Amino acid sequence: MTERKTTHFGYQQVPVEEKAGRVADVFHSVAARYDVMNDLMSGGIHRLWKRFTIELSAARPGQTILDIAGGTGDLTARFSRIVGPTGKVVLADINASMLKVGRDRLLDRGIAGNVETVQADAQYLPFPDNTFDCITIAFGLRNVTDKDLALRSMLRVLKPGGRLLVLEFSKPQSKLLEKVYDQYSFRLLPFMGKLVADDADSYRYLAESIRMHPDQETLKGMMSDAGFVDCEFHNMTGGIVALHKGIKP
Amino acid sequence: MSDPTFRAGFDATLETAINTALRYDPGSRARLSKLAGKVLGVNLTAPAINLFLVIDDEDDEGGYVEVHSRWSGEVTTELSGSALAFLQLLRNRDATPARLGVTVRGSSALLAELQSILRDLDVDWEEPLAKLIGDAPAHQLGTGIRMAASWLKDALGSAPKAGAEAVSEEWRMTPPQAQFEAFAEDVAGFAQGVDRLEARIEILRRRLDGEEK
Ligand SMILES: C[S@@+](CC[C@H](N)C(=O)[O-])C[C@H]1O[C@@H](n2cnc3c(N)ncnc32)[C@H](O)[C@@H]1O
Repeated sequence: MTERKTTHFGYQQVPVEEKAGRVADVFHSVAARYDVMNDLMSGGIHRLWKRFTIELSAARPGQTILDIAGGTGDLTARFSRIVGPTGKVVLADINASMLKVGRDRLLDRGIAGNVETVQADAQYLPFPDNTFDCITIAFGLRNVTDKDLALRSMLRVLKPGGRLLVLEFSKPQSKLLEKVYDQYSFRLLPFMGKLVADDADSYRYLAESIRMHPDQETLKGMMSDAGFVDCEFHNMTGGIVALHKGIKP
Repeated sequence: MSDPTFRAGFDATLETAINTALRYDPGSRARLSKLAGKVLGVNLTAPAINLFLVIDDEDDEGGYVEVHSRWSGEVTTELSGSALAFLQLLRNRDATPARLGVTVRGSSALLAELQSILRDLDVDWEEPLAKLIGDAPAHQLGTGIRMAASWLKDALGSAPKAGAEAVSEEWRMTPPQAQFEAFAEDVAGFAQGVDRLEARIEILRRRLDGEEK
């Protein structure tokens, strides 16, 4: 059999080795407008979802935190203040354009001292074992080709007792909400993407990748399989988004 | 547990209200920056809410306050009492925790200093949100925050009249179950109608496509 291994890119099947490149194209093309779109898309609610993520991180002064797929650094900025001068936050992303926008924005906000930026793939994290007290991946896991590989890589670099938080679009808990949300993301999103970023395709991809992402229970199972314990999730805004938590034993 | 988005909305709004007021008051910001690193824990008994005011400072801009619903670091001073008692503390110059039945654990120096800074600040505590929605850039205040804001405003607005129990009732924010379900059914019915319409259009479209060939 010489069949090529494929994976999904939104609703399309693409060869595994192509997905990363395609995802990169999407984020290169949206990097500059990413924050504006993020606000428009979610009506600003993404800030609240991120806020709850911070609360659940139990971060405290002096800790070392990894914000992988950190993009423009929303979580990083807040973590940086919490861990203070004795702590450290690593803002990591696979995409150089996103990382650059992130770094500039942190500087604009007067955040520099305890933040480091690293270009890194969530599947192959370039850090020693047992490095971090906490790892967050916000709206990033759905873009990763091999999610199991990424979860295992995150487990490896966490300290024992450290926690992983996965913030991601998930499955709305009511049929009604799902319906409304479908209309919104498949019709309105690409349209707004076209208007604001002149890039309907990227936002169509975003909408599709949301729908292909594992639902709450599936992701929880994947985290347990990867070796995390005490796995749990919190639905937010009716399950449009869920925050999963797991601890490294 | 209710949707965490609401609580996050409350925290975000309170935080913005305080820091917006601080922005126009460099004197207070300077005083506040001396308290950087200190944390005030507040346990409201009615409605039952824990919150933490974490004081920090930005280089050359002075102090600001972060609001958290959980805090894993050290807490400098911890207070507990009803929301009404706290409003009194923030409003009246000679209100003291003891007189209002607010218990204090830890350093009372932080409390005294913070009380005097916050009291002098022009924050309309009872309606932090309504006020804020008008001034803040639209992209900062999406619908989510707006929702949480008006909900909170209702909850707080009725506090003095209806008493703390009523507030804690409202706090649960549950629309009457039956009413909500009836509404949901209506909308679901409508959605099915749309589905059927879409299916019809699809059949028509195929037929047209077929005819073209
Ligand atoms: C939707 S953005 C989220 C950014 C930020 N965390 C936030 O919540 O605003 C997704 C990010 O994931 C990054 N990403 C995609 N695949 C990745 C991978 N395999 N490893 C690390 N980052 C990745 C993208 O470059 C992009 O910046």
